[in-house]
Amino acid sequence: MHLVIIVFLYGLVTALATGLGALPFAFVRRLSPRITAQSNAVASGLMLGASFGLVAEGTQYGSWQTIGGGMAGVLFILVTHAILKRYDLEFGGSRGVGARRAVLLMVVMTVHSFAEGVAVGVSFGGGMTLALVIVIAIAVHNIPEGLAISAVMRPQGTSVLGCAMWSVMSSLPQPLMAVPAFLLVDTFARILPYGIGFAAGAMVFMVIEELLPEAYGQDQRHGVAVTVTVTLLAMVIFAQYL
Amino acid sequence: MDPTLVVLFYSSLAAGMAAVGVLPLLGRRKLPRHWIGWSNALAGGLMLGVAYALLVSARERVPLSGALGALLGILFVNRTHAASGTSELDLNRLDETSPDYGYKVLLVNAVHSAAEGVAIGAAMAVNLSFGVFTALAIAVHNVPEGTVLAAILTSRSVRLRDAAGLAVATNVSQVLLAIVTFALIAAAPGLMPWALGFAVGSLIYLVLAELLPECYREAGSTSIALVTLVAMGMVALLVSLGPGG
Repeated sequence: MHLVIIVFLYGLVTALATGLGALPFAFVRRLSPRITAQSNAVASGLMLGASFGLVAEGTQYGSWQTIGGGMAGVLFILVTHAILKRYDLEFGGSRGVGARRAVLLMVVMTVHSFAEGVAVGVSFGGGMTLALVIVIAIAVHNIPEGLAISAVMRPQGTSVLGCAMWSVMSSLPQPLMAVPAFLLVDTFARILPYGIGFAAGAMVFMVIEELLPEAYGQDQRHGVAVTVTVTLLAMVIFAQYL
Repeated sequence: MDPTLVVLFYSSLAAGMAAVGVLPLLGRRKLPRHWIGWSNALAGGLMLGVAYALLVSARERVPLSGALGALLGILFVNRTHAASGTSELDLNRLDETSPDYGYKVLLVNAVHSAAEGVAIGAAMAVNLSFGVFTALAIAVHNVPEGTVLAAILTSRSVRLRDAAGLAVATNVSQVLLAIVTFALIAAAPGLMPWALGFAVGSLIYLVLAELLPECYREAGSTSIALVTLVAMGMVALLVSLGPGG
């Protein structure tokens, strides 16, 4: 098989793994305000942890580029948010503020997959020896990302299957970006820190602006704080050992 | 200079910076509400940045002892909050008049700065220049924190001069714990990941349990997020350009 097809197929597997993140919600029956708050807290911790890891990686390629990308990411979310506010949205079974938050999260996580796809392609370009290990690592790494998406969308009324589907969707750019990045390693290695910064800036902003206030509003704050801190640290450590 | 004196000097500097926080209160009776929210967000963002620096500066995987240390850090702050009845304390209230609110705010600040002391001591043990960087970041963080504390105290008719003194006094545990942590790691290097983990866990938890929750009510969530993010980004940028990065 052609190498490009292999890279693409591997990428597709990693995208499908994201859908597994919806699985825990098949076992949660009643979505009380407390579960909503805790779900948002889990998503916040996962996204903050992922951003910590991304920024640490991005600054190795270039500190200023990463920060510049981060500022662009925040700006992008501000603009997207302003545009979304103008429409009365309906998305995945929810309306109004909930739908807006879900769409925004989808946008953020999809953008984040773009950056990750580039990272995958660039690391593949370094040689195919560790390819399978990398693919498994990324596939496993995508599961908490699916969990983050499902944790925000499920309390808004999206079905478990819908959560899984949207999770996979958010990861589809990964294989799409991995291929050109793999073919043009040098070019893409140069834009990588911008992309990483962009994704991290967008995610952290989304967490602090949207998810945390939502979580604090529905549960006692120390309960939220414990969940966010533990998931953040777990995500960082999990990514380090993959 | 002897390393212990370096730790003493910079942790004292960090504690002393809390007094600078009263400056925005000079010549005005009350601080606008959104300033209070932004000050807490700024302090929170800087603290998250410091936690990020401590977490990734090692460029090594976090060992099991580090993870356990982090859990201990979370547990420490969570339990001290619970024991002092401050788990749900709103650190932004200028209109609260009950006498014990003032004492609780002072108590929360004193416990809070102990965790920062551990962070400074552990960072100094990684290497001195990284420690100085961390101490300076905490010093800047102490300024907006001092502002919030002074605003609460002066609204309870404490004189500005006394508010500045109290802001520094609540940070004294920082100096003590910085030196103790530094000395302990020097005596038993195996404690390093425990101390680093403790610092990271307690700092992140403090931001999420103490600084961020209520500030959304003082200023809109967009401006809170921007202030927090800029502060975090500054620390992350500086740590990757500078020492330990």
